[in-house]
This record gives sequence, structure tokens and C-alpha cells, in this order.
Amino acid sequence: MVIYLDNAATSYPKPTAVASAIQNALEVATSPGRSLHKLARNATLIVQEARQKIAALLGCTEESIVLTYGCTDALNMAIKGILREGDHVVTTALEHNSVLRPLRRLSKQGIIKLSIVDFDEQGYVSASKIANHLTPQTKLIAVTAASNVLGTVQPVAEIAELAQKSKVLLLVDAAQALGTVKLSLEGIDLLACGGHKGLLGPTGTGFLYVATKTKLNCWREGGTGSDSLSALQPEEMPYHLEAGTPNVLGLAGLAAAIDYLLERTVSDIAKHELRLTELLLEGLAKLPKVKVYGNRFDRRIATVSLSVHGYSSEEVAAILDESFQIAVRGGLHCAPLVHQQLGTTEQGLVRVSFGPFNKVDDVEALLAALLEISQC
Amino acid sequence: MNRYSRQILFEGIGQEGQKYLSKSHVTIVGCGAIGSASAEALARAGVGSLRIIDRDVVEPSNLHRQSLYDETDAKNHLPKAEAAKRRLQMLNSELQIEAIVRDVSSTNTEHLLEGTDLVLDGTDNFETRFIINDACIKRSIPWIYAAAVSSYGLTMTVIPEKTPCLRCIFEQLPPPASAPTCETAGVILPIISSISAIQVTEAIKILIRRYELLHKSLVQLDIWKNRYVKIDVTNARSKDCICCSRKIFDYLSQPQSLVATLCGRNTVQVVPNAGFKIDLKQLAEKLRPHGEVQINRFLLRFKLPEGYELTIFPDARSLIHGTADTTTARSIYAKFVGA
Repeated sequence: MVIYLDNAATSYPKPTAVASAIQNALEVATSPGRSLHKLARNATLIVQEARQKIAALLGCTEESIVLTYGCTDALNMAIKGILREGDHVVTTALEHNSVLRPLRRLSKQGIIKLSIVDFDEQGYVSASKIANHLTPQTKLIAVTAASNVLGTVQPVAEIAELAQKSKVLLLVDAAQALGTVKLSLEGIDLLACGGHKGLLGPTGTGFLYVATKTKLNCWREGGTGSDSLSALQPEEMPYHLEAGTPNVLGLAGLAAAIDYLLERTVSDIAKHELRLTELLLEGLAKLPKVKVYGNRFDRRIATVSLSVHGYSSEEVAAILDESFQIAVRGGLHCAPLVHQQLGTTEQGLVRVSFGPFNKVDDVEALLAALLEISQC
Repeated sequence: MNRYSRQILFEGIGQEGQKYLSKSHVTIVGCGAIGSASAEALARAGVGSLRIIDRDVVEPSNLHRQSLYDETDAKNHLPKAEAAKRRLQMLNSELQIEAIVRDVSSTNTEHLLEGTDLVLDGTDNFETRFIINDACIKRSIPWIYAAAVSSYGLTMTVIPEKTPCLRCIFEQLPPPASAPTCETAGVILPIISSISAIQVTEAIKILIRRYELLHKSLVQLDIWKNRYVKIDVTNARSKDCICCSRKIFDYLSQPQSLVATLCGRNTVQVVPNAGFKIDLKQLAEKLRPHGEVQINRFLLRFKLPEGYELTIFPDARSLIHGTADTTTARSIYAKFVGA
């Protein structure tokens, strides 16, 4: 039995209801909105239900939830939908490539100007540092709610206040945060998240929250199942941004996953995962050859990055996989600037990330394995 | 005077045989030592077209045995397929040559072998041979297995539906690191010439349709130890052979070893498809003469003088540092870990 500690990549296992919801959808639902027969209506209901549940989880209206094929999809939709020639954007060195790459392309093409704010020794960016980079041309601040490498939870509320005050739009990448971190939407204009990490749903699902006042251009155009005579993509939200057949099966699974999440409660899951994280950090502190990166104590999610002296991160990950049946991820985690600032580009980092179904035994097994490896 | 006159005078070939040769198309997969020798012989013999497929570049350590290449090729790191084409064209300007610089894989082999009459094995690993065997049996193309390392070599001719295929003889892949490779055990040119001589003679017999003259054996030679063994395979076709009897071409459908470039790391990970256990200590002994070796119970690190570094784990998965190119990594893996 594999000990799975790679929940920051995708959560595993999923709540059992997820598989049955997908199975059920396969049997009773087809494609929504396009036809009026029962199978199509069932699909429409599944999509509606997923949208409702996401809205309930976030505390927003259904019209603000655009269903996407993942967090990357949602981030691209936001970035490419909002930015125009001459705009300035402030982002952070903590960002994932799904934020950095679209921004850097626009910057390289000379369409936008980009400022990248670094993080402090503990792994946090600050609203005041971001404020220093704002110019009259700044259109957008793009920031992650929690670092996918260091696990540090960023001061989104403070940054939101700054954005509001400065009349700048705020895009939050909530990929690592939702499911365990409670986020207030106050002052957030755009928030992107995948369905397969903390939300415990299947891959290929996600959404973009778009505040009512925010207007996005659509970057994907096509069929919406309604308003077929219109020559252009309909303006009505969220359909304006939802061209193409949605991932009905995935959304069925995601709705079931959110049910589980709401029943067990986000705070209970967070408490459970953080307790495991605390145990891990205590144990790691006793291993002299293991170095932990980022704040160890508070304002964090259950993601810990470390290195073992004498080994590259991929070597540690391979040994854990092969000799101990423990699944973690080694490498750069698609966040190149984090490693650049930490000076860990050469070795990479070993990332351990807990989920709602991990146990104390898993932590102990990992600590024992790391002790053995570090002594070799 | 016809350039082939002496060959035509040979009664086994004659005018008719030469005509057949001139119209034939042969593919050589892997143009290292055996591939070079066999390609040269076929080019001189006057086959119509040759397709040379190889993923590597010429290195100085190839020159003592890979007869198509010279010092300039090694200095310029020319792809072997390209260097071979240039040299062969000088030997025979009438020859049609196609040089393909590529790794043959489960997904591209059938396509790469299209339109050929015969396939010659010049590869350095068993996994690719299993892929060739599957593709040739499926497409009904004869092929000739050939391998050499140290002073020892093997060859066998496979005619679909008539002779045993490679899987009748070797059901499974040998585990990685179990067999010696030219990089770990060395190799001398005479075994290459000997095995290639047999392979090319068989090739000519097939191309001129003299199937009755084939040796019908698994030939094993050790020219240093003076062992010449010929195992008759006339009755070795297995009724249960997964490939030629049951027609399950698993090496064309299942993914090969998983080879992936690690995100931004100038490192490639190779994970063999099947579950293996290798003895790191034994491998360390084999590799020690060729570079710096570091070993503990979890891994073996092997630093090559060329700058590449391999980390090999007991299940044969390996990290190849110093390249982001999967083809280069696959080739280094085949040379030092083997497959």
C-alpha cells in the first residue's frame, strides 16, 4: 500500500462518493443544454449542481462561477481576458508557471509591463512591497493564496484591501488554498482554482470566480448550447466564458467531493492536515541532515518542502518511492522563481503534502525513511 | 566492365541474383559497429536502397570498430545516420540512401519499416529488438538479429511464419544490468566482422530468394575463446509464442520504458516498464573502470568523464543528469545499464 504524500499535485484518494457520482453520470447524463431530452436535462442538472456547490463553498452567486477545465485554464482565461496593451501587472516570485508563463509572454510581446515582487525569508509576500510597485498603469495584481512549494499562506486580505484602495484588479490563484484555507472574497475580482486538489474532485475540473463588476473578454469561443443565432459569443455570464461542452463527468465528481468537504467541514480537514504537518516539522527538526524551507509555524497549509544533504530532490523522491513506497514529489514544482530566490534550482526540493485521508502513521513512516536515507 | 562482375560470376548469385539485389530495399536499425559493417557490405554488393536509422552521434570511442566513421565525424559529433549516408554514397553513388536520425520506439517502428524488404539488427539493446521483432512479424518482413559484445556474438535469421521468431527463443527481456555491454565489457572488431559477415550473407540469400540456403540456427561465436556454436532452430518455433503464434504484439502497444525530462532540471528519468531488481554492487564493479562510482544501499551514482552523471536505483530506474534530451538519455541508459 502506497503512502501518498503528494496531495499538492492532486489529492488522493478521493472521497468514495466521487467515483459513484462519475459512474452515475456516465449512465444517466449526456451533454447539457444542447438538447432537451432527459439525458441532456440530467447533464444540465449535474453542471448546475456543481456550480451551485462551488458558489456555496465560496459564498458567492452562481453567475460569478465560470466552470473551467482546471486552474491553469481559469488563470489563462483571467489573464488573457483582462489585460490590454499598455497595462502594468504586479505579481510575485511565489507564483506557479500557470501565472508566470502567460504574464511573461504578454510582457515579452511588449503588450504589458510586469513587476515581480520577491518574498521574505519566511516565504511571504507583503502588501506593502506590492504597493511599492504600483504605478498609474497598474491594472492587475496576481498573487497566489498559498505557495505550492513552501506552503505559506499569503496575506490575501491585506493585498485585497490595497487593490481596492488603489483601484487595481486582484487575481488570486487559489489552487493550493481552497479546501483548507478560508478565503473571503472581499476585494477579490478574480479567483482561480482547480477541482482536483483541496476540493477533492477529479482532474479536468476547475473554475474561475469573476466578481460581478469585472468584465472579461473571452479567449475561448464556440458553442454555448443556447443563443445559437448570435454571431458572437453571448455576453451573458458565466456562459460568455464557457464555450464548449463542459466536463460533465468531472463536474458530477466534483459536486460529490464538495458535499464531502462541506460535511466534514473545511476547518476539520485543515485541523487534521496541520496536525500532521506539525508532527512532521517536529520530527524533521531532529534530523540534522534535513533542511526545511519556509515558515515552520503558522500561516501555512499542509505542504512542506525539504532537502536531504548529499542527495538531489529527485533522488530522495525515487528512493522514497522505491524502497519505502512513499509518494512525494522532487524537483522544481513549476515555480522557478521560488527556487531562484531560495538558491535551490540545482538540487530542487522534496515536497511533502498531506490530504484529508493521511494518518499519523504516514508521518512516522516518512520520518523513519528520511532518517535512514540521511544516514546513508 | 560491370562493377559487380566478380559477384555475378559467383554461381550462387549470378545475373538474376544481382538484379534482385539491385531492386531490394533494406533497413538497418542502429548503425554502430555491426550496422556499419553490414551497411558497407550491402552497399558494395549493390542493393538498391538502404534506410539507416540511428539515434546516436559519432564519438571517438566508436572509431576502433565502427568502420563507416572517421575522426572528423567524431570531432563534429555528426549523427551516425548522416555520417553513414555520406560515406556509403562515396562507396556507391547508385545507391539510394535514406538517413533517419531517430530513436525507434513502440509507436514509430511500424511506420519506419514501411516499404522495406528486410531489416537488419544493428541495435544495442533487447527492448528495441523486441519492438523490431513485433513489427516485422506483424508486417511479415524478414529480419536478422545480430549482437556482439566483448569477443562474443550472436545472430539468428527470422522469416515470419517460417522460422522461430526472437520471442520463441527469448521470451522475456533480460533484466537491466544483467548483460554486459560494449561500454562495460569492451568489444573487439573481429567479432563485429564475423557476426556481420554471417548477417550479410543471410541477407543476400533472402534478397535473392534462396531461403533454402539459410543457416536456420542461432549462431554463437566467441572468437577469443575459439567457440563456434550453431544451435539448430528448425523446430524451435513455439506454438505458444506470444508474438509469432498468438500474434500479440505487446511491444508495439505497451509503452516502452518511461522516459521523461524532469521539469527544468537538465535531467532525464528512465523508468523501465517491467519490474526489475538489480544488484547495485555487481553493477558498481562493472562500472568502476569507466568512471567515478558512489554506492549506498539506496542508489548508485556513476559519473562519466564526458560530464553525464547517472543515479541508478535498485529497480533499474535511473536519473541521467547532464542532458534534457530523452534520446541521449535512452542511449546512455542502454550503454551503461542495458536493457
